[in-house]
Amino acid sequence: MHELLSYLPEFANALLVTLGISLAAAWVGLVLGFGLNALRLALPGFGVIYRLYVWLIRGTPFLAQLAVVYFGLPIIGLRLEAVEASILSLALYSGAYFAELFRSAWASVPNGQLEAARVHGISRTLVFWHVQAPQAMAFALPLLGNQVILTIKESAVTSIITVPELTMTAGRIVSTTFSYVLPYALLVLSYWLLTSTVAAVARTLGQRMTRHLRG
Amino acid sequence: MMSDFSSRLAMYGPALFEGALTTLWLCTIGMLLGFVLGVVLHLLANGRSRAGVAFTRVYVSFFRGTPMLAQLLLLFYLPSAVGLDVPPMVAAAAALALNTAAYQSQILSSGFSAIPKGQMEAASVFALGRFNTLVHIQLPQVLRLTLPALISELIDVIKVSAVVSVISITDLMRVSQQLVSQTYRPLEVYLVAGVFYLALTSLLSLLGTVLERRWQERN
Repeated sequence: MHELLSYLPEFANALLVTLGISLAAAWVGLVLGFGLNALRLALPGFGVIYRLYVWLIRGTPFLAQLAVVYFGLPIIGLRLEAVEASILSLALYSGAYFAELFRSAWASVPNGQLEAARVHGISRTLVFWHVQAPQAMAFALPLLGNQVILTIKESAVTSIITVPELTMTAGRIVSTTFSYVLPYALLVLSYWLLTSTVAAVARTLGQRMTRHLRG
Repeated sequence: MMSDFSSRLAMYGPALFEGALTTLWLCTIGMLLGFVLGVVLHLLANGRSRAGVAFTRVYVSFFRGTPMLAQLLLLFYLPSAVGLDVPPMVAAAAALALNTAAYQSQILSSGFSAIPKGQMEAASVFALGRFNTLVHIQLPQVLRLTLPALISELIDVIKVSAVVSVISITDLMRVSQQLVSQTYRPLEVYLVAGVFYLALTSLLSLLGTVLERRWQERN
């Protein structure tokens, strides 16, 4: 028990690092995903780039992507700190998943609405923001939380390039105290707590923001 | 320059191919064990025992709510704390199986619920027994109904399996790390490794599409 108390502050710190990296990356990934989907709708030629990007990111492990960014990019002159490389890779990674989420959200709005609006001479941009976006976002909202959870879970991999987040910290405590069970048990419990909390927050927010749809 | 690259590629190729085989082998074992566990979890979740229902709920929430890497570390080091020495390969396969079982139980339950109730009644009229009904009536149909989803789960398993490299299993990821430490060319080695992963996942997803299309035509 005494032992547990001695490294609890370290764990709390590491929890904040995990949360910070994941939320920063998820935020950038959200914007990236939204942008990719919007570009896909606006420019007919962009569809090929969009599909290529999603295929590359979703077809390879995050660890391989992180390795390319952190170990590979310095070769072409782009040297990033571990934390920067982690946020960048996580953002690029979650961006592809967010983009697909937005794509399915936009697909959930019947095409007839777009056609009707276009017949009335409403521009594509206005249709995007005022007809499709409000309905699509209501569809996407409950799913966004899942994506944030996915990002938090994937952030554990950044411990391999020595980002001082939860997994790395647990490993360091193990190697200094030689007790394996407690730090690693605490590690999975921390993640469990974190993802359950995010899930609960997302559920509450989702319900609150779509209240007008349930009458 | 280009011929240099192709000669290096000839050196990476066989090593990465070996690694890819290890990855594929490990994932297949994990996936199959996970399938059996997933069926058990599904049966527990829909069984009469209240403790069983609660257990599966916690199990699924735990394995879906924590990173694979953390699960792997716990599983690899926990037995050593009580004096057991678990080989990395066993720990990796077990971690993959336990992890994917949580996801597979969810996929399978949608398949189980799609089977008409009348079949179960007919089976019980013929006194077929729970086990025989499961193996000969339900599972063949469930497997076929959920195969596209199971294939995409296998793709996820392959991607998530990259973390087993941290417990020194010479999978695709570990082999590329070894190649990097020999050649000092991280960019091209990791990109080529990425192409190997891409080939694995793309072939599987193609297989899923083909199977789905063929069955749609037949129905």
